[in-house]
Amino acid sequence: MVYCSPGEASTEVGSTVTGTDAPGRARFPRSVFGVGDEPDPRFSLANERTFLAWIRTSLALSAAGVALEALDVPVAGGLRLACAVLLVCLGALAPVQAWWGWAATERAMRCHRPLPSPLLSPLIAVGTLLAGVLLLLGLLLR
Amino acid sequence: MTGAPDRVFDDGLQAERTALAWRRTSLALAVAAAGAGRLAAPALGVLALALAGLGLVQAVAVGWGAARRYRAVRRALTSHGDLSTLRAGGLPMAALAVSGAVTGLLALAFVVLDPHS
Repeated sequence: MVYCSPGEASTEVGSTVTGTDAPGRARFPRSVFGVGDEPDPRFSLANERTFLAWIRTSLALSAAGVALEALDVPVAGGLRLACAVLLVCLGALAPVQAWWGWAATERAMRCHRPLPSPLLSPLIAVGTLLAGVLLLLGLLLR
Repeated sequence: MTGAPDRVFDDGLQAERTALAWRRTSLALAVAAAGAGRLAAPALGVLALALAGLGLVQAVAVGWGAARRYRAVRRALTSHGDLSTLRAGGLPMAALAVSGAVTGLLALAFVVLDPHS
């Protein structure tokens, strides 16, 4: 992981140097708020909303997996269980992406670096696709 | 109040949209808590009730925190224009991410143990 040094990015001409939070009352986590300078608040708020969207995605994935079993959805048993397990695993994984993505994006913005690519979203996309295929097979084979 | 004019500081209504996103998340948490309590009740009894209660408390806390945070964001945007005075920082996010992961693991336990079959 590459960190920009504290205050490194706040040296452009004409910018009022706010730098990092004052020592001792830095916001949590220090790995994010301890580096760079304050980005445009619109982008921080957009980053926050992206985080929240991932959290709601996580809840939806978990709920879908639980509903498959709880509602006894008429799908071939083994395939239904596989699909449900896959969905709830993705539901447990999505918050990891939510937190990692939020922190990495905020850090990149504070250091004026390009935004990171969403690390786990390809995995979650492929997993969701696989869940759909399992469900379809289960519906056809019941 | 800071005495700053309550002008439109941002045509994108960022603070409002973010507050609404927190509110949606709070509602989703409340529904998830109620549903989880209902599904776990036959197997866990009182423990399920406690679990649902914990989830609902978190949903209310998120909703309350969202309202507070909205006011703080507004104040920051109308006075000095950056969010460095939001003391909470990433703590609400960390708490929410942890509880999302725990919810996923509880869901995994439910699916694997499946009290219905």
